[in-house]
Amino acid sequence: MRIKRPPAVALVCLGLFLLCCLLVPRFATFGNIENVLRVAAILCIVACGQAIVIILGGIEFSFGASVALASVVTVTVLPTTGPIAGLAAGGACVIGIGAANGWLVGRMGLPPVIVTLGTLMMASGTAAWLVGGLPLDAPPSAAFSWPARGRVLGMPVSILAAMLACLALHLLLAHSRIGRLWYHVGANPLAARLAGIDVARITLLGYVVAGAFCAVGAIILTSRVASGQPALAPNLPFETIAACAIGGLPLSGGRGHVLQVVFGVLTVAMLNNAVVLINLPVAWQLVLLGLAVLASVGLQKDWAALKRLAGRTAR
Amino acid sequence: MPASDEALLATGIAKTYGATCALRDARLTLRRGRVHALLGENGAGKSTLVKILVGAVTPDAGRLDLDGAAAAFGSVTQAIHAGIVPIHQHLSLFPELSVHENLSAFALAGGSGLWAGWRLVDPSRARGWLAEVGLDVDLAAPLGTLSLGERQLVEVARALSLDCRVLVLDEPTAALNAGEADRLFAVVRRLCANGTAALFISHRFDEIEALADDVTVLRDGRTVIDAALIRRHSREELTHAMLGAGVEARPERLCARAEPVLVGRGFAGRRDASGGTDVTVHAGEIVGLAGLIGSGALTLAAWLAGAQAGAGELSVAGHGFIPGDRRRAAALGIAYVPADRHAEGLFARLSARRNVSVSALGHLARLGWLRASQEAERIDPLLRRLKLHPAQPEAEAATFSGGNQQKLLIARCLALPGLKAMVLLEPTRGVDVAARSVIHDAIREAAAAGLAVLVATSDLDELMVLAHRYLVVRDNRLAAELPQDAPRAALLSALSGSMAA
Repeated sequence: MRIKRPPAVALVCLGLFLLCCLLVPRFATFGNIENVLRVAAILCIVACGQAIVIILGGIEFSFGASVALASVVTVTVLPTTGPIAGLAAGGACVIGIGAANGWLVGRMGLPPVIVTLGTLMMASGTAAWLVGGLPLDAPPSAAFSWPARGRVLGMPVSILAAMLACLALHLLLAHSRIGRLWYHVGANPLAARLAGIDVARITLLGYVVAGAFCAVGAIILTSRVASGQPALAPNLPFETIAACAIGGLPLSGGRGHVLQVVFGVLTVAMLNNAVVLINLPVAWQLVLLGLAVLASVGLQKDWAALKRLAGRTAR
Repeated sequence: MPASDEALLATGIAKTYGATCALRDARLTLRRGRVHALLGENGAGKSTLVKILVGAVTPDAGRLDLDGAAAAFGSVTQAIHAGIVPIHQHLSLFPELSVHENLSAFALAGGSGLWAGWRLVDPSRARGWLAEVGLDVDLAAPLGTLSLGERQLVEVARALSLDCRVLVLDEPTAALNAGEADRLFAVVRRLCANGTAALFISHRFDEIEALADDVTVLRDGRTVIDAALIRRHSREELTHAMLGAGVEARPERLCARAEPVLVGRGFAGRRDASGGTDVTVHAGEIVGLAGLIGSGALTLAAWLAGAQAGAGELSVAGHGFIPGDRRRAAALGIAYVPADRHAEGLFARLSARRNVSVSALGHLARLGWLRASQEAERIDPLLRRLKLHPAQPEAEAATFSGGNQQKLLIARCLALPGLKAMVLLEPTRGVDVAARSVIHDAIREAAAAGLAVLVATSDLDELMVLAHRYLVVRDNRLAAELPQDAPRAALLSALSGSMAA
């Protein structure tokens, strides 16, 4: 899909940015903006994976738990393998869970909600069992903290990684054969099968690639918290789904552009940041996020659809 | 016949869904004490008319009179309480609940307050209804323990809980065996003897002739035979009325038969496990697969294209593939247009060009990367050839008319690399005249270029202008093979089975 005019979410995002600059104290400072972008970076990388699954007509709930499991596995194996192999092992766990989800959804034909909920619980339980329920600190090392704190040409590594993730997602969605087939499978799986597409394989690959994006996010997050935490990012799946929904990706699949993901992520990150800066309780982040999701999905419904809906309920 | 005889009169009924006109000018007269058959091919507007009668759909125009008084139903519940009771082909009962609770469902739904309706009907009344339909089952038994035939009778018994004036039987026998169907018919006849009018929808002529007194035939949303006595019309006349008058243009005769391309052996339909059906389509030939709805013609065609699993052996140009392996079939060069455009064919959210290029992605990609310019270069000429209107390859498929959406599916076939055979199911169903002629030309050109083409359709006119040879399917097997110059009457009688042994 080629975007000829900017997605509606771009205007919302820009509006929110201006609003925050005007109303939120200390928002428009260089340090804070960089902070927003650092938080947004991890969210953005994982949301890229979520977007693939949503375009496929599915949904990924297991991302948060698999990131937590990755952090625990990393810290557990770190003393024997060293930081780089440790982080890689954590990332591999995330990809493995993605592959399991893809196999269960694609080959076994199980519903994505149930599958990813199941793997969420299994990953979460495994993580808690590995460390006995308590966070486990990682021994500090330069290589280990590089993904979160390092800079390349003055640019934080995490933000650079997010930009590369967006580029990769764009290339996949707009220029690769597999990405094209994700749209077909998401738009109409039965028609895709009858057109000769191997729907199971395309679905499986989609979940694996989504897992790979999430793995990058997991490595950066583990590096940042420098510990293995069985309850590391419980809201991550919901925040990424929210970012995609706010960006305008229909959860029924078959549509989506990388810019929608980017602006959705920035909107979520700014909302979260503004809540902290105006000294609201952090719990308000979720409340506002929920409101933003409902409002954006409501506004994206065109008037004809709204009228049809009204007519149907009236009858 | 005196007008007071009319239980239900529908006149001038019209209904449009978006761009498709389901009913233009339908008329239906149901008389008390008589069973009325409603006939029509798929898309004739039969199911829309039934939905209007039972209150599930509001008509755009027209008038309904129930017992001589104008009626309008806002919902199925309203229609039921006015005395129009539907008996569905998909049973609308609750298998987990007891027979007694099922029989009370109408009373419950009619309750005014939240709790007012939560009472079961008097058991003696419930037993009376069951006795009237000839059922002897325990009121407390869960409905799920009854056979399908018994459940259907429970549904009829439930109709007795209301002052049932019109019983609407929408393919009630689809899931029943012959004995169960006979039992249901006996009950319907008994109800009619008490003054109820019945509307009976079925595709089986045997049943229609056995049960119905009167008949109405719909075609293209219009009533073409209006409340006639059924014994005045032969099966051929009824089939002819359903399918329409002929256009006598015939395709050019094939001189010699080329080598076989698409070969299927041993197709076994669901009902007919013994003996198989063999089909061969030769290069350059258009085979017309004809069959009424429910005959199994579409299933047979889908099986040939690898879209339907089942027994038998399939091959294309000498390469075998497993029934149901659609991916392999496509890789071997069999293009396929499914019967249900929206559910099985179209990617409504994707652009027209992408809807077409999906079959050619293997050729358009190098090492997994697509080359956008090549895609347009390869696909857009096809769209121009098929006169896609509006000529906007980037527009979403959902925004095109039905005829142009169908052109996209045909173009997708033509874009398949290594194309050897095309299997087209109802290629012009619900398509306007202009698109229809474009599609027919494309099919003829494809055959002339040496492809093996099989067209399965319930549209007799379409077969007559396309096919070089007819295969007639009835009861899930080949009933007849007719040459290109077979007269229309021969096809009609083969379709309806009136001359079959």
